[in-house]
Amino acid sequence: MNDLHGILFAYGPSPAMRELTQIRNICSMPYGGRYRLVDFSLSNLVNAGVTDVGVIVHSSYQSLLDHMGSGKDWDLSRKRGGLRILPPFGYSDRRIRQEYRGRMDALAGVYSYLKDIKQDYVLLADADLAANLPISEIFEQHLRSEADITAVCSTKIDVDPQDSNFFTADKHGWVTGVASYPFSANGQTSLEVYIMSKDLLMSMVDYAATHNTPSLGEVLLDMRSRVRIATYLHKGYAARIRSVDSYFKHSMDLLDPAVRADLFLPERPIRTKDQSNASTRYGSQVVSTNSLIADGCTIEGTVVNSILARGVRVAKGAKVENCILLQRTDVQEGAVLRCAITDKNVVVSAGQMLMGSSSYPLVIAKDEIV
Amino acid sequence: MLLAGGQGSRLKALTSKVAKPAVPFGGKYRIIDFPLSNCINSGIDTVGVLTQYKPMELNAYLGNGAPWDLDRSDGGVHVLPPYLGEGEKGSWYKGTANAIYQNLDFIEQYDPEYVVILSGDHIYKMDYAAMLDHHKAMEAACTISVMEVPWEEAPRFGILNVKEGDVIYEFEEKPKNPKSNLASMGIYIFTWSKLRQYLIEDEADEKSSNDFGKNIIPAMLGNGETMVAYRFQGYWKDVGTIDSLWDANMDLLDPKSGFDVYDPEWTIYTRSAVRPPHYTGPKAQVNHSITTSGCEIYGAVEESVLFHSVKIEEGATVRYSVLMPGAVVKKGAVVEYAIIAENTVIGEKAHVGESPKKGSSGKGIAVVAQDLTVGAGAVIPAEAMITKNVKGVKA
Repeated sequence: MNDLHGILFAYGPSPAMRELTQIRNICSMPYGGRYRLVDFSLSNLVNAGVTDVGVIVHSSYQSLLDHMGSGKDWDLSRKRGGLRILPPFGYSDRRIRQEYRGRMDALAGVYSYLKDIKQDYVLLADADLAANLPISEIFEQHLRSEADITAVCSTKIDVDPQDSNFFTADKHGWVTGVASYPFSANGQTSLEVYIMSKDLLMSMVDYAATHNTPSLGEVLLDMRSRVRIATYLHKGYAARIRSVDSYFKHSMDLLDPAVRADLFLPERPIRTKDQSNASTRYGSQVVSTNSLIADGCTIEGTVVNSILARGVRVAKGAKVENCILLQRTDVQEGAVLRCAITDKNVVVSAGQMLMGSSSYPLVIAKDEIV
Repeated sequence: MLLAGGQGSRLKALTSKVAKPAVPFGGKYRIIDFPLSNCINSGIDTVGVLTQYKPMELNAYLGNGAPWDLDRSDGGVHVLPPYLGEGEKGSWYKGTANAIYQNLDFIEQYDPEYVVILSGDHIYKMDYAAMLDHHKAMEAACTISVMEVPWEEAPRFGILNVKEGDVIYEFEEKPKNPKSNLASMGIYIFTWSKLRQYLIEDEADEKSSNDFGKNIIPAMLGNGETMVAYRFQGYWKDVGTIDSLWDANMDLLDPKSGFDVYDPEWTIYTRSAVRPPHYTGPKAQVNHSITTSGCEIYGAVEESVLFHSVKIEEGATVRYSVLMPGAVVKKGAVVEYAIIAENTVIGEKAHVGESPKKGSSGKGIAVVAQDLTVGAGAVIPAEAMITKNVKGVKA
């Protein structure tokens, strides 16, 4: 599908992620054992045949750059187009120190890039969404309905209303009302995935600049009488991760086979950076139940209701329950972990006991030795 | 130059659709990943892969060589099938030496000083750079990698007889009364100018069977070229038979085998499947096994190697077996001492393979070929080689 261009927003700070986003942007947060959140958006676009994708970043984006590289793992390393990283000062040397106040600010920051987009249509999306979206189908609906904007929505996603946009729609799916960051949920939740023409996008960016409205939701609110907005209701699983709580909860969702079936469709695979890990080794007298375990792990103890990223070690007599262990976490002999999230390279020494609760999971920062 | 045209007829049903180097091995790999990874880890970035038998899957697997970092603008991986030239002259690769001879032009365009000849059917980790250093230090025309084998097994191998300094004076193919226990591993380094000359001479000899072991090496020895043995220590296995393929897979589970694919300094690269991490179900029992992406384990797995996307349903048992990508073992089925090839489904309560009887010499491995269905309740005995769907048995 060469008439659609992807723009991903990967700039936002996420203080509610605590230690986990000190060293990275939320979009490069490891998720589901072997993925980063951005993998979903990138794969969704690529699975629909989109070949040109711009990713807007602002700060702490080194880990995102390391992960995406040239875009080769998503077939986005191209002679023409492909993956483009769009950092803040790429097109100007104005030393604006503050963060982007909203998506319109972010788009204005890459104005020159937008101007040069060759495709007639653009898909805007937040890169912190875990969902397997049928972009081809959504784009077809957009063209068929002759809507100015198609907004992808969900009625199932669990979000903080004050951090979300909502649309009320008539029975044909035409938007009749927009609620931006309301106190309580009101209508279908926007997954913050929009398709529109490039021309409309450019005029929205101009409008936002002249009216000083940095937020996309506000612009939609202002423009709703002049543009026709259609909704596309995504019925599959979708999760937006913005806090430790939602990270823990939506990671654990993956232990449900139905959720995995929704996210990991063989016909629309979620691609990620290839790490060439060997298989996971299980020792003797091991317990491993209801767990999702990536490659390269060594499991000699007990793992229950947990998600293990690549290269994790669980030694003899160690017990890991309701945990998320990120890459190369080393749980040594006899250690016990419950409701904990350990970041990369954490070492939990022999015999240690670490207990969080499912409503307030313990977070252990990268490279810490407990 | 990697010889990957072999049919691997002793692997029977496992090579009915693919060449031997493309046979899945060790949970994540195919056999050819080992020599390819050895190349890139040794700093060799130009590799010709000579294909002939059923090359489609192998070609697709190699692609542009990116998984091995061999997608280069200068060098990289090249698939080299036999071809016809002017006047429709040309032929299938007649022997290992002829395969290289037919690709003289390919080698010439890189104008190398040395050429490494490898085969695509051995499992081992080896630093070819260290072997090349030895070749240079000895000022040899040819260096052959060897390993010491037990004396009683020496008659099964190509044996190199050496004098002081491991200089080779004689090559004997499967000698009845071996004078040495140094077996050739089929890994050669040649000084290219020498090899080129011998390949041309060998091709002109109509009686020659155009084989390295039978013709090139004896000819070079006969002319008094400096030929040296390079002693290799470590894990090496020819996985040419069902038993040895099963053995080598089981060696991955045994730390004492000396076979380690987890060394970060010597990664074995592969084209990985794009599947989510594996899942162990609420009643899963996994013991002393290796598993990888896309597997769903609800039953019991013991002493086994699972490739990606294998599904083991609740109440099913898998023991001492190798399950290739996409294999499914349905409820209540038992699979033991077996190799189940890609996408084959073992029906409910079927029983494939059996534990070897005490005192029997062979492993009795049962093999079910790819894309088949073994019906519910069917019983497949030890050593079976199943190449057609098997009907279920009514309970």
